[in-house]
Amino acid sequence: MTRWAMVADLRRCVGCQTCTAACRHANATPPGVQWRRVLDMEFGEYPDVHRAFVPVGCQHCDDPPCMDVCPTTATKKRSDGIVTIDYDLCIGCAYCAVACPYQARYKTQKALFAYGEPIASEAKRHDDARLAVATKCTFCVDRVDAGIEKGLQPGVDPEATPACVNSCLANALTFGDRDDPHSNVFQLLAENQHFRMHEELGTGPGFYYVWDKAAE
Amino acid sequence: MASTDTRRVPTYCYQCVAGPDLLTVKVVDGVATEVEPNFCAAGVHPGGGKVCVKAFGLVQKTYNPNRVLTPMKRSNPAKGRDEDPRFVPITWDEAFDLIAERLHRARADGLTDESGYPRVAASFGGGGTPQSYMGTFPAFLSAWGPVDMGFGSGQGVKCYHSEHLYGELWHRAFTVSPDTPLCDYLISFGANVEASGGVVGIWRHAEARVRGMKRVQVEPHLSVTGACSAQWVPIRPKTDAAFLFALLHVLLHEVPRERLDLAFLRRHTASPYLVGASGYFLRDRGTRKPLVWDAAAGVAVPFDTPGIAEELEGRFEVESIEIGPDQDVCGEGRRVGETAFAKLLAHTAAYSPQWAETICDVPAAMIRRIAVEFIEHAQVGATIEIDGTRLPYRPVAISLGKTVNNGWGGYECCWARTMLAALVGGLEVPGGTLGTTVRLNRPLSERLKSVQPGPDGFMAYPMNPTDKARWSPRPNIRNAYKAMVPLAGDGPWSQALGPTQFSWMFLDDTPPGLPRVTAPDVWFVYRTNPAISFWDTAALGQKMARFPFVVAFAYTRDETNHFADVLLPDATDLESLQLIRIGGSKYVEQFWNHQGFALRQPAVVTRGDARDFTDIATELARRTGLLAKYNASINKGAAGVPLKGAHGDFSLDPAGAHTREEIWDAVCRAASAELTEGAEVHGLDWWKEHGLATKPFPRTDWYLFPTLAARGLRFELPYQERLKRVGAELGRRLHEHEMRWWDRQLEEYQALPAWKDFAAPWEAAVTTAGGAPQNYPFWLLTARSMQYAWGGNVGMQLIKEVADNVAGHRGVIMNAKAAGELGIRDGDRVEIATPARSVRGRAVLRQGIRPDTLLLIGQFDHWATPFARDFGVPSLNTLATMSLDLTDATGSGADIVRVRIAKTKEQAA
Repeated sequence: MTRWAMVADLRRCVGCQTCTAACRHANATPPGVQWRRVLDMEFGEYPDVHRAFVPVGCQHCDDPPCMDVCPTTATKKRSDGIVTIDYDLCIGCAYCAVACPYQARYKTQKALFAYGEPIASEAKRHDDARLAVATKCTFCVDRVDAGIEKGLQPGVDPEATPACVNSCLANALTFGDRDDPHSNVFQLLAENQHFRMHEELGTGPGFYYVWDKAAE
Repeated sequence: MASTDTRRVPTYCYQCVAGPDLLTVKVVDGVATEVEPNFCAAGVHPGGGKVCVKAFGLVQKTYNPNRVLTPMKRSNPAKGRDEDPRFVPITWDEAFDLIAERLHRARADGLTDESGYPRVAASFGGGGTPQSYMGTFPAFLSAWGPVDMGFGSGQGVKCYHSEHLYGELWHRAFTVSPDTPLCDYLISFGANVEASGGVVGIWRHAEARVRGMKRVQVEPHLSVTGACSAQWVPIRPKTDAAFLFALLHVLLHEVPRERLDLAFLRRHTASPYLVGASGYFLRDRGTRKPLVWDAAAGVAVPFDTPGIAEELEGRFEVESIEIGPDQDVCGEGRRVGETAFAKLLAHTAAYSPQWAETICDVPAAMIRRIAVEFIEHAQVGATIEIDGTRLPYRPVAISLGKTVNNGWGGYECCWARTMLAALVGGLEVPGGTLGTTVRLNRPLSERLKSVQPGPDGFMAYPMNPTDKARWSPRPNIRNAYKAMVPLAGDGPWSQALGPTQFSWMFLDDTPPGLPRVTAPDVWFVYRTNPAISFWDTAALGQKMARFPFVVAFAYTRDETNHFADVLLPDATDLESLQLIRIGGSKYVEQFWNHQGFALRQPAVVTRGDARDFTDIATELARRTGLLAKYNASINKGAAGVPLKGAHGDFSLDPAGAHTREEIWDAVCRAASAELTEGAEVHGLDWWKEHGLATKPFPRTDWYLFPTLAARGLRFELPYQERLKRVGAELGRRLHEHEMRWWDRQLEEYQALPAWKDFAAPWEAAVTTAGGAPQNYPFWLLTARSMQYAWGGNVGMQLIKEVADNVAGHRGVIMNAKAAGELGIRDGDRVEIATPARSVRGRAVLRQGIRPDTLLLIGQFDHWATPFARDFGVPSLNTLATMSLDLTDATGSGADIVRVRIAKTKEQAA
């Protein structure tokens, strides 16, 4: 059974936000709507300080709290683990945004453009269906599905891989089938120590953070 | 939203010196919508074929409503920050008429003015990146004649200036890099490679971290690079030289001598050369070659005598001659000489970690531990096979960042860094410290070929002359690089490597001995904004306002073209056409295993009346009657490739005014012929389809050491006899012309550089400006922003949005505890002030910064650039002062200012 998942290698991430920009491009999100972004975090006190860059976004949980609170069943979870939103069903109540422990959901009430009026690239891609509904990272599900249809392998073939992964300058983001022993994601998790965000909440995120090699 | 036509157009982004990045642009129904990596390039690009965040701003750059889309002329003759230029649209014909009339007048008046300076000047942005966008404009400048390209926009103070000059002297290293793919231990003094090393730097260092390379980041604030390092050492600003000297001390005085690479020092450096009482090499009286002591024979012999065993340490009385500046004989006969290595030992004896501790505010034990880790990782004696050749393997390196490399102390840091590499034989070998770019020695595109035999067994270097017969107090351009900075050389890059602030400073106050510095009759400006990116920016604007005729290639209105007379809209990145060289070894981390060419091509139709730079250059050449020279320059190689070569003749007809397609088609054909040694000749259409083509670049060519060894040349280390001589001669020349304002800089020409209080000049600047030093207790620093650096992209909403995710882009970073003591909370409005100027912004409180340090990332404080003028983020550049006191011998200054900070009155209330 396929379980699509993403791995962020915290040893590699430099916080450059290229994934953020690539996501904005690939998904034509409006200004300020960053389905993928990277947190710039500090720990400790001077001079014993550590700074870390942590990519975040929808965690595509096994048991997504956003889905539980959705009154219209707009939010669903596919059998391959990808959590989706049906904009036709969404009524924009934003319960899901409140319920999400990862602050991964956005709701844009009115059309927003980089310079006020839409520029040509925005006009070409603006979609009214995205207004007044919840939006979030889709794991670039359209690319994944279209790629599979063409016989491509998500996480390996760029055409079938989420844009943030394709763009990552540090090779910090990896996408693949968590349950396939031959997948890059499976092997990364097997070879390294990792955690999931807010694991204690029992949401079962499909987003893993690698931080060191596994103990010998 | 059914799309009728979707295509992906291959092109490149070269918005910063770490480029080019190879990308594709998705174009839907003629509209550019997305940028993606050119996945086809992944196999040849050393950064996995990825594309920097800046490239994702190119779609907005194309459609930005604030673009200048038609030529414009100023209708308000009064110039000033507070004067509305009242630009009005004009036709290209009118614009060319205006410019040509000025150029004709300048030519009629003589190409140089009454001071001997070119009447035409041109300023371009940093690191040579505009050249990857300006098409054939270099051919026009070449056809024109003398052009002053020394009005800086930050060159010399925002780059790695000392490294450019000394690095190129010592190991053809205009820029220096660790051999990251093989390095195991790296000490980085403020080198912010994760912000400025581009895609390749980020990619290679990420790979190295996971592989296990340990990087120690020594810097006053915890940069993004520090964040990705194994250890952060918060050093006091401008004391890096003391730390480096202490590392030298540990290796030379605490570590057993045999752990150093003594064979390398004996045979491949000048360590065994004998130095006489006057500080110059003792030379053979017949051949005048430097002498070494042959331990086997027990006699002094010229350094290049075959079969000798050079003594590394000791004093010897030898028959010799000692020659000083201007060929003066300092002494002749039996003279006592000491090896350069022995002098190095004595020189570093006092620089212990305990000594450095109080200077650097870093515990001695930590400095000592880092030195020991360095030697432990060096693997002295190890070898590695690269492409079938066995080479020394030394997986340790040291890198230096901006401000460490710039201004007072830059020489000392570069020297100590290069010496540390030499002590372990880690210079220009796998795993070690490498140079990547050559810019002052020729040929610029083939680094190894630039290694030519010079005097005394060292590489030749194109030093500007300091002898009486050839030195001149009448410089060719206003920044006087030829007269004042011998190391700057006199090549195509030298004008921008002189003291580029002098062109601005001396406009009002030319120091004695130099011809009065004048404003140029015509000033071209492209992809640069010195009214923001240099220092003392308010004063710079006032000076620009006095320039009689300024032509600005304008993307949007900005703080420099506010003073322009004519604005010319050039086609932007996704609209224009050019072929450039890629690969080989260039810039900091840019070592490729391939080399070749990439095409930038119009992905979309040019907006408005903007024109391709090549068409602009051709029309300027036509209207100034320079078409034949212009075409000849293109034929000779001004567009990047000679059009006539061993593999074909693709020359343009010198008499014609060719279209951009005709010109670049010829360049494409010449390039593909060069690349395939004549086997394939592809025109523009082929390159438009494929985007790039490469051939292998041998990895052994990353390393200079084998070439030096093969030619019997030595690294010019540790003892800087040539620099000492050059400095003495320069001093004499200047004093012969009553020029004594450079005396302090002359003191930098030391054979073995000594520690000085390198921060003192900036503290003294407070007093000079009328302030009390105790009232200005903070060091204000700056750091590159990866999202903005070099990009000229402050007008891109997307770039602003994503950059704001990185701490410090919204205000001044300050230590939280230090802020607390001043009652400053996160987000408070604060004023940062010198005795002369002040700026305002928001406080960003962090733990990762020294309590005595403030940090302003990037270069903002815009007041004319649309969108950016609303940021409200201050800039160090507004506060920094240009002065001779803050200029070192290479003409460089550093991004550091002594300031005070307080809540604004309104905030306090």
